Amino acid sequence: MSGSGSRPGRRRVALLATVAFVAAACGGIGATPAPADLTGELTVLDWAGYDDPLYWQDFKDTYPNVVPSFEFGGSDGDIYGKMKAGDQADVFHPYTGWIQFYVDEGIAQEIDTSKLTNWDKVPEDFKAVGQFDGKQYCVPFDWGFSSILYNTEKVTTPVDSWAALMDPQYAEHISMWDDGPSAVTVSSYIHDYDETNITDEQLADIKQEWTDQAKLNKAYWVGEPDLVSMFQNGDAWLAYAWQGAYATLLGEGVPVAYADPKEGRNSWVGVYCIRKDTPNLDLAMKFIDAKLGQKTGENLVANFYYGHANQDVMNGITDETLREAFSVDDPTILEKTNFTPNLTAEQRDAWTAMWNEVKASQ
Amino acid sequence: MAASGAALDKPRSGRRRPPRDGVVGGRRGTFWAMLLPVVGFLAIFLVLPLVMMAALSTRLDLRGPLLEPWAPTLEHYISLAETPIYLRLLLTSAGIAALVAALTTILAYPLAYFLGLRAGRRAAVLLILLLVPFWTSYLLRVMAWKLMLGEEGVINSVLLTTGAIGEPLSALLYNRFAVSVTLVYVWIPFAALPIIAALQRVDPAVLDAAADLYASPAQQFRRVTLPLSLPGVIAAFFLVFIPTVGEYVTPLMVGGTSGTMYGNIIQDFFTKAANWPFGSMLSVIMLVATLAVAILALRAVDIRRFVEP
Repeated sequence: MSGSGSRPGRRRVALLATVAFVAAACGGIGATPAPADLTGELTVLDWAGYDDPLYWQDFKDTYPNVVPSFEFGGSDGDIYGKMKAGDQADVFHPYTGWIQFYVDEGIAQEIDTSKLTNWDKVPEDFKAVGQFDGKQYCVPFDWGFSSILYNTEKVTTPVDSWAALMDPQYAEHISMWDDGPSAVTVSSYIHDYDETNITDEQLADIKQEWTDQAKLNKAYWVGEPDLVSMFQNGDAWLAYAWQGAYATLLGEGVPVAYADPKEGRNSWVGVYCIRKDTPNLDLAMKFIDAKLGQKTGENLVANFYYGHANQDVMNGITDETLREAFSVDDPTILEKTNFTPNLTAEQRDAWTAMWNEVKASQ
Repeated sequence: MAASGAALDKPRSGRRRPPRDGVVGGRRGTFWAMLLPVVGFLAIFLVLPLVMMAALSTRLDLRGPLLEPWAPTLEHYISLAETPIYLRLLLTSAGIAALVAALTTILAYPLAYFLGLRAGRRAAVLLILLLVPFWTSYLLRVMAWKLMLGEEGVINSVLLTTGAIGEPLSALLYNRFAVSVTLVYVWIPFAALPIIAALQRVDPAVLDAAADLYASPAQQFRRVTLPLSLPGVIAAFFLVFIPTVGEYVTPLMVGGTSGTMYGNIIQDFFTKAANWPFGSMLSVIMLVATLAVAILALRAVDIRRFVEP
């Protein structure tokens, strides 16, 4: 698709450039080009799926002659490792839990929010996710829940607790996300641990809990498509999931429900940050501003069932199920949600090692 | 042993190497000049990355600038000794790899025998056909096994329709069995190649001689063909064994919770945990262990006995 589309696009760029050059040479046009004339290069390190123009619709509409190129990371650890190793992407997309490192290691740069036209539409709670020492380093984009997804034909009693992931009656049909920090989060909810301050003893208990869980677990899912296909072919009945999988499976006609556990759902936020030494700062700023745009947000809500950081988008949702799913009419929802806290480097290394030991001991 | 000993002697007299003096003198310069690109390539793309990996394994964690010197530590190696889980998994993975390599070699042998000795002029075409599956993506071929082995997969469907079973078998997919089956399938064509090469080097005159001495076809195979093709068999075994010890894609896709292999843990330390130093340490251990096994095995078998003419 992009290959066939780029050629006429490039020709048009060349034509526009020539026109602009001639016009400028005649001394007719001022220094700032119109958005449609803007050209340049922009590289985005993102998760597979977000390269679809639907999720940068406003940027595409405003700057039709800039075609961002996308690189992909398969997990937060992957994206962090790439940036840490010197990846030259201008913009990158980490999630809550993994944002602090980019600031500590000097990978992300402070963002001048006065240049963001959509900034006043973002609720303060979301802004805070990307703030460190009073400075805005990253801009929130997508948010959503983690909870338990289950097949209502196979799991007939409604699920009301995270402990369902360890319920032996669903043995061999459970699927946990392949992620150590999330396992720690789930255990913290179940046992009411302080997630930001897990002791060594608690971590040992958590490791034991998931080692036992592994006997019931069919397979750990890595990417959302894995999870969706496991539900489609009946291998999984109950899983840790984001609501994107819920949306997809509902669309496919699979009878699924998305639990509202008594310990609360987990909630995560995705942010866009700009690499410190990027030569394309201007375009990068335009890109993340457009990420907060109305159409981009609407596409995100409609296709992934994810929330968008722009409150106008959320208020504009007409679908009743979605309004309820995001508690749009509950102004205190963001205060009540369990946001994933930022990991420290020690927690990251200890929790991921714990998880790998769980996996290695099977 | 008399028959095979004689069989080995015969070609030996026919192919004597030219005297070594031929290479010395003015041609030595050319020799080194021609060797340089190969050595340079290996130094940059093999030795240097391995050295970097070994160096990285002495780093405490990924914090701080990557390219500035750090105080080396053996902490990860020490912690490995304290948590035997990873070493046990390495042993299990080596066991799976040995099983897969053995099965693959056994299954590839008849294939190679046919292609190398019986197919005649059609051999080239058949060899290409054998390799046709490799024109599709590795992932697709592994996914195909998911379709075969899943609870609503081909095998279960056939068994259910024929009434052989009442409930779908869930033990087919997402375990070490599925990993082994898939790996054997994937490796067979590769494993056949060195065996074909070895079989094609067998001098037909040797077989004629064996027949003249009243060896039955079975005896010819057991005492002449098989021993002469052993270098190919050993090469096939290690061709499969060494990469399979560190395999991670196949277990990731069909292994499920219980099918995790050592390579998956290494991958996780790099891509999910952003803990390259620990992942590097695990890689160094695997590299050393695999090399040790390969060297010991080659010593024990003494491949030179077969390779040297």
